[in-house]
Amino acid sequence: MYSRKSIQLVLALVLILGSLPLAAQDDQINMTMWVRAINFQTQELVDQWNANNDSQIELTVIPSGEFVTKMGAAIAAGEPPDIASIDLIYTPAFASAGQLVDITEFVRALPYADDLTPAHMNLGLYEGRNYAVPTAVDGSFMAFNVDLFEQAGLDPENPPSNWDEFLEAARAINDLGDDIYGYWFSMGCAGCNAFTFLPFIWASGGDVLSDDYSEATIADDPIVREALELYNTIWEEGLVPEGASIDNGSNFVSAFTGGNIGMAPLGNFALSLFYNDHPDLNFDIFHIPGKDGGAASFGGGDVIAIPSGTEHAEEAWRFIEWTMSDDPQIEIYAANGQIPVRLALVDNKYFEGDERQSIAASALAVGHTPYTTVYNDLFNDPNGPWLEMLQVAILDGDIDGALELGQERFTQIMEG
Amino acid sequence: MHKQTALLNLSWEQRRKLTGLLFVLPTVAFVTVFFIIPLIMTIYMSFHDWPLFGERAHIGLENYQELGKDRQYLKSLDFTFRYTALVTPPIFILGFILASLVRRNIPYIGIFRTIFFLPVVIGLGVSSLLWVWMLDDRIGVFNKILLDLNLVPKAQLFLGRPNTAMNVIILSVVWKTVGFTMILLLAGLQAIPDELYESAEVDGAGYFRKLIYITLPLMRRFIALALILSVIGSVLSFDQFYIMTRGGPRNSTISIVFWIFNNSFTYFKMGYGAAMSIVLLGILVALTGLQLYVLREKD
Amino acid sequence: MTAPAIDARAERSQQELRQLRRRLMLTLRYVALIIFAILFLFPIAWSFINSIKLPSEALAVPPTYLPSQISLKNYEELTTYGKIGIAQHVYNSTVVALITVAGSVILSTLGGYGFARFDFPAKNVLFVMVLSTLMIPFQSILIPLFVMIVRIDLHDTLFGLSLVYITFQLPFGIFLMRNSFLAVPHEIEESALLDGCSSLSILYRLMLRLVLPGIVTVAIYAFINSWNEFLAALIFMSDQDNFTLPVFLTTIRYGIWGDVNWGALQAGVIVSIIPSLVIFLALQRYYMDGLMGGAVKN
Repeated sequence: MYSRKSIQLVLALVLILGSLPLAAQDDQINMTMWVRAINFQTQELVDQWNANNDSQIELTVIPSGEFVTKMGAAIAAGEPPDIASIDLIYTPAFASAGQLVDITEFVRALPYADDLTPAHMNLGLYEGRNYAVPTAVDGSFMAFNVDLFEQAGLDPENPPSNWDEFLEAARAINDLGDDIYGYWFSMGCAGCNAFTFLPFIWASGGDVLSDDYSEATIADDPIVREALELYNTIWEEGLVPEGASIDNGSNFVSAFTGGNIGMAPLGNFALSLFYNDHPDLNFDIFHIPGKDGGAASFGGGDVIAIPSGTEHAEEAWRFIEWTMSDDPQIEIYAANGQIPVRLALVDNKYFEGDERQSIAASALAVGHTPYTTVYNDLFNDPNGPWLEMLQVAILDGDIDGALELGQERFTQIMEG
Repeated sequence: MHKQTALLNLSWEQRRKLTGLLFVLPTVAFVTVFFIIPLIMTIYMSFHDWPLFGERAHIGLENYQELGKDRQYLKSLDFTFRYTALVTPPIFILGFILASLVRRNIPYIGIFRTIFFLPVVIGLGVSSLLWVWMLDDRIGVFNKILLDLNLVPKAQLFLGRPNTAMNVIILSVVWKTVGFTMILLLAGLQAIPDELYESAEVDGAGYFRKLIYITLPLMRRFIALALILSVIGSVLSFDQFYIMTRGGPRNSTISIVFWIFNNSFTYFKMGYGAAMSIVLLGILVALTGLQLYVLREKD
Repeated sequence: MTAPAIDARAERSQQELRQLRRRLMLTLRYVALIIFAILFLFPIAWSFINSIKLPSEALAVPPTYLPSQISLKNYEELTTYGKIGIAQHVYNSTVVALITVAGSVILSTLGGYGFARFDFPAKNVLFVMVLSTLMIPFQSILIPLFVMIVRIDLHDTLFGLSLVYITFQLPFGIFLMRNSFLAVPHEIEESALLDGCSSLSILYRLMLRLVLPGIVTVAIYAFINSWNEFLAALIFMSDQDNFTLPVFLTTIRYGIWGDVNWGALQAGVIVSIIPSLVIFLALQRYYMDGLMGGAVKN
């Protein structure tokens, strides 16, 4: 038998040893930050912060598909990250479930509060309180191949500004040859088409959800039908490759880099890829047009928020505030081809002379993002009603059936 | 100390009983914790609004009422039954042909039996990955062969249209599972005494007469078993649709289990998923009941 | 019957004809067998052929029939795929399979012995309860299983997944082992019992050897089923580090924002097929015994 004393001695030793590292780091704050995908600006931000501050941040990548579940589980278990970079469309779901720290007072103190990208700020708002600020800005726009435009006798300086011109341009490019196509869409990818097809509807003054996001307006809004008819025409006339009908998004970006696609709707994330990996690609961009003119863009990207239950909310905010300040916005964001989160900083030394960047940035002014807690179930889910509606209407040509099933399943999900 | 004396005081018979109980205890515990309790919980959950996180609420039969209004659920039921009806005959017929071919113990027959059975030990998930690649329009081997033989004018998007998607998935599943049916039917064939055929031949019976009057009736148990196992497996299918088509195109290949999976683990409507599970359970119990009925009748 | 002397020549030619017909039928049978064998082996062979192409050739449009150069590059790429690499996933699948095998074998042997050789209260009820698991597939109780596994903090652990797999191997295992023990003559134990050996030592020293074929069968099924299982692994594992092989392979299939690495995928398919295949080929007899014992007799 061990004596009581020796046990006490061991216990004491364990306690002392266990507390040693704690004591050494007592004044240092260690924070964790979750992101859904590593991009260079996040890594760069964290690296610079860690180099210049006492508090240290550890970056963890959580795949997009698991983000919602993992955040919920971590908060429920009392072990949340201290900072989270969240796909902005999920912010209402997180905020409404009480999973984020109210940062209204912090935001009000910012001198540039009104200058932050409106779509992101709007999504971070729940019942009049702020829960998130922008950290990655990603608007959708139309990319076009300048060489193909010229070959088809189109004027790259005057890209299409309404649906008729857009369709004509696609046809003209398509006529250039058997292997050349006017357009590209990834019709097996739900999220890609929320990002790039919804703006066609918005730019024409229509929407699939009512203004207060309380109900679906698919069946009532004539613009939805017309937009589906536009895409259906593109499909039936063979203006996109046949494989586009089943592409699950893996060619969303790469299809356009092949050089045989006239136009493809994309977003900012593609720009840095084009610059870095395809420097020879002669492309330009224009806004996704409305039926009779106008323009719209899906305001996508990430917001940054502080999950409930963290012990380092103040320090987390200090980091967040720093990421939005002038120096990182110019020297990390703009220098890497990323759009700053403050509109006033879009005119900067790095974007000067590249018209494409300023067009991409100006898309944010017409940026629009649906505000709903069931965004994923409606739009992003590969088995959700959005993609099925598009496929039935565009690929099968059954527009009536598509509108009916879209309206019905949207309504069912929104009523929960 | 007390316990031990008590144990010693037990009669031999009592001790045997206790020992037997102890032997089966771990199994019973496992089955209780991971089967009986979840089964009861499924029923309980089906009467609740049960999100992954947040408040649960008792809502009575609402989940069940919702089922009738769920367009995709009805579509999934229809799809699952259609798939089952279409996949079962080819599995069964090809299984029977193969069983007939490998029945006699001719030289090297063991090798052939093994080859036909091989795909069964490969996982359905992995075999689906294999097939989705062979069926690809650009790099798939089927399109390559069809184009080289001039059988099609251009590459086919097999998984892009609801009809062809169904057909090619059936093809892949037949390849993967027919060996199992073959072995069951082979056991049935081998249980039939050769004398019966010999005397039928003396009476001048041809192949089909022998098939109808001897083979099929005497194999009834095995046929019923092969059919029902294949039907149950088809009703529960998930892997091939999740991997090969992700439920598409037009959400036309979402099986019941797939839709339960989506509702429970993507939309986090676990109560609703539980209600669907109960309905699935009902279907399966009915099928098993049918199995027992068919098999018992013979004896 | 005709008398042998009357028409011997006609008889002989008829016999020759019959023999010729039999030989023809046999040839046809072999032709059919060979054609089917080629069709059945083709997908596996094709996957293997592509896995040893150069990665660039494995992505060629249209595909080539035979590799222009044999290369293990696809396998090499797998070792670093998705940062984690395939080794971790092979490890995960192996751990899960081994725990499942060990658990299934131990529980089935104990339980099978108990149900076969002892009388105790509620024996039949308990036996039916265990076997009823056969009728109700795990797909229908996945939701509460998930809730429970999360509650007891075994979510996203290899051990938690193994526990679920063991449970669903048990009815088959118990059924098979009970039959194995029932087939052993009573006399063998009786003398040992009279010698005062404990039940556990009888099981260990005497019976285990006799029911070894049954144990091997239970182990093979536990291994192959857990190695191949997809749906439960998909649900219970959320961390990429913990994915089993089949779940990992589907992540290659859904390469996001980039082209799918088909060459690596086929290398992965081959890696995941090999263990099941080897075990099946080596222990085929036991596998078939299980199939007959488990499926036909019940």
